[in-house]
Amino acid sequence: MEPAISITGLTKRYASSVAVDRVAFQVENGEVFGILGPNGAGKTTTLEMIEGLRKPDEGEIRVLGEQVWPDPRRIQRKIGVQLQSTTLFDLLTARELLMLFATFYNRPDAERRADEVLGQVGLETKSHDYAETLSGGQQQRLAIALALVHDPEIVFLDEPTTGLDPQARRNLWDVIRAINTDQRKTVVLTTHYLEEAEELCHRVAIMDSARIVALDTPAGLIASLNADARISYTDEEGTHALMVRDTQAAVLDVLEQARERGATVRDLSVKGADLEDVFLNLTGREYRE
Amino acid sequence: MNVNRFLAATIAQLKMTFRRRITLFWSLVFPMILMTLLGLLFGRSISAGTIAVVPVHAAAPQAVMHVLEHTKGVTVKTSPTAAEAIQQVKNGDRDAAVVFVPTGSGSYRVRLFTSNTSADQAGIIKGIVLGATEGVSVAATGRAPALIFQPQSVDSSSLTYIDFLLPGIVALSIMISAVIGLSTVLVNWRQRGILRRLKLTPIPLAEFFAARVTASLVVAIMQVAVLLLFGRIAFGVHISATAWAAIPVALAGCLCFLAMGFAIGSIVSDPETGDAVGNVVTNPMMFLSGTFFPVAAMPVYIQQIARVLPLYYMTNGLRDTTVRGLPLSHVMSDIAVLLVMTLGLALVGLRTFRWEPKTKTSRTRSRRRRSTNVPADSPIRQEGERAL
Repeated sequence: MEPAISITGLTKRYASSVAVDRVAFQVENGEVFGILGPNGAGKTTTLEMIEGLRKPDEGEIRVLGEQVWPDPRRIQRKIGVQLQSTTLFDLLTARELLMLFATFYNRPDAERRADEVLGQVGLETKSHDYAETLSGGQQQRLAIALALVHDPEIVFLDEPTTGLDPQARRNLWDVIRAINTDQRKTVVLTTHYLEEAEELCHRVAIMDSARIVALDTPAGLIASLNADARISYTDEEGTHALMVRDTQAAVLDVLEQARERGATVRDLSVKGADLEDVFLNLTGREYRE
Repeated sequence: MNVNRFLAATIAQLKMTFRRRITLFWSLVFPMILMTLLGLLFGRSISAGTIAVVPVHAAAPQAVMHVLEHTKGVTVKTSPTAAEAIQQVKNGDRDAAVVFVPTGSGSYRVRLFTSNTSADQAGIIKGIVLGATEGVSVAATGRAPALIFQPQSVDSSSLTYIDFLLPGIVALSIMISAVIGLSTVLVNWRQRGILRRLKLTPIPLAEFFAARVTASLVVAIMQVAVLLLFGRIAFGVHISATAWAAIPVALAGCLCFLAMGFAIGSIVSDPETGDAVGNVVTNPMMFLSGTFFPVAAMPVYIQQIARVLPLYYMTNGLRDTTVRGLPLSHVMSDIAVLLVMTLGLALVGLRTFRWEPKTKTSRTRSRRRRSTNVPADSPIRQEGERAL
């Protein structure tokens, strides 16, 4: 079966910089695919080229077997998009807004469809509230509901949880998981939260400075480190971080050596290897969210 | 074009318009307040004033008094003595005093005392009293006068100030709603990414804007109806039978000002500038287009400026049809001018139209810089880092 999305050599240049540099990947049907990277890595530009909002300078994008460019309107009917900026018409209620969008897609069952997606994102009780009165998390849910209203095959979510408090973020994760498992939709999302990529995504592309630097399952990415844990501690020479396989032996070793030198080890911590370590390993930089 | 979709979009636009209280204020309440204020300030000019008359029990003075009492805009109050009448004028209680001085053989000299405070008013009263005395003289002698003076006003014939004002206010309110309404909405939609979001849906932007325009036209017709009714009820303005022809004029005018709002909204980048430019364009137009005072009363060069302003044609068209009783055929030229201007302004708007904010990339970057440079200012980010 053809992949949901297939991208080769995707490049976008701006006057003074390259925003996306020869990006290539495939998204399989039914998976949650994440593009993870720090701000400014080129995630949103990549996503917007796939969605048909930004024209690539080079490269080919096929979505559901069709070329997106030069005429993205056809494919746009089959995809649902939540843009990074989600504010919509203030003075329509959530339900009115959804019905309006359903009508845009010529759906005769606009009312029923609006109620369905309100349920899917858990906004039933807010259906008669104006968008402007909703909380940040609720507005994101509404934006996702708008992306779902025409029952698309692929849903694109651009930093869906940015700016939300931890509780709202976790609640939104449940909504996104349900879109994938219950609605059986392919989900492509960008995020700069490592934890989010690890929690939600079947596969993650790590993007940095316009390029994809790694692509695998979260477990696969971490396994590529060939280490189980990161040990960090501070001694008289400064702060150290070690990626280690045998945690127990390594910790003992650190302490033993310190004792032999007569040094004091402070702030010793052991943390299971995660995507942060992958990023550090790939780019040589600490990941900053 | 899809009818159901178009209707749904139009209804949504109307809902948003009516839910925004400030829009309703500017389109209906503000014009009513403005009209009431101007009506109170200048509407009085149809009243020439109150004249103190010292009554004399003789045929000719009684006849003059009778004529004055029945002159529109003049109130007659009697005073017992000439001295008291003159004092009343001095005090400002009366605008003029009329005293009949017998000259013998049954004839009288009519002496008029006016105040120097208002030369215009004194002139008007002088004219009225002169007319009354001459009329009575002619009637008394029974001889037809050799010359008959027949004044007739070319402009605003039989229009009171409030009659004149009402169509101007209607035009003004349609202009403000259309220009400010569409320009700020367009900037807002672009700034907030609503245009980009719409681009992802199958509705063509032209259809979406057509829905917005239709909603604005509905509001314009409502403004015509409500404000005319207000003028009729509150000020007794006589609405002509041809007033229905004001609707095509209002629609053409509204289209023209929507095109202007579209052009402004396309050119400017942020809502504040949009608002400012809208005001800079509409405010002078109010004063130059004969909204409050006849253009004919203005200096020639202003009259020439007025002729390139759409509000001038809309005001004229509305005035002709609503209070002057002129038919649609008479205002077709005004409608034509408005439609040509619509076309020109719409072209400007289309040529400068942008889906996305002008400084999109630099703005995004600076926003991003801020968010990475200040990681500890929000509890969200702190939590994010802890979660690592």
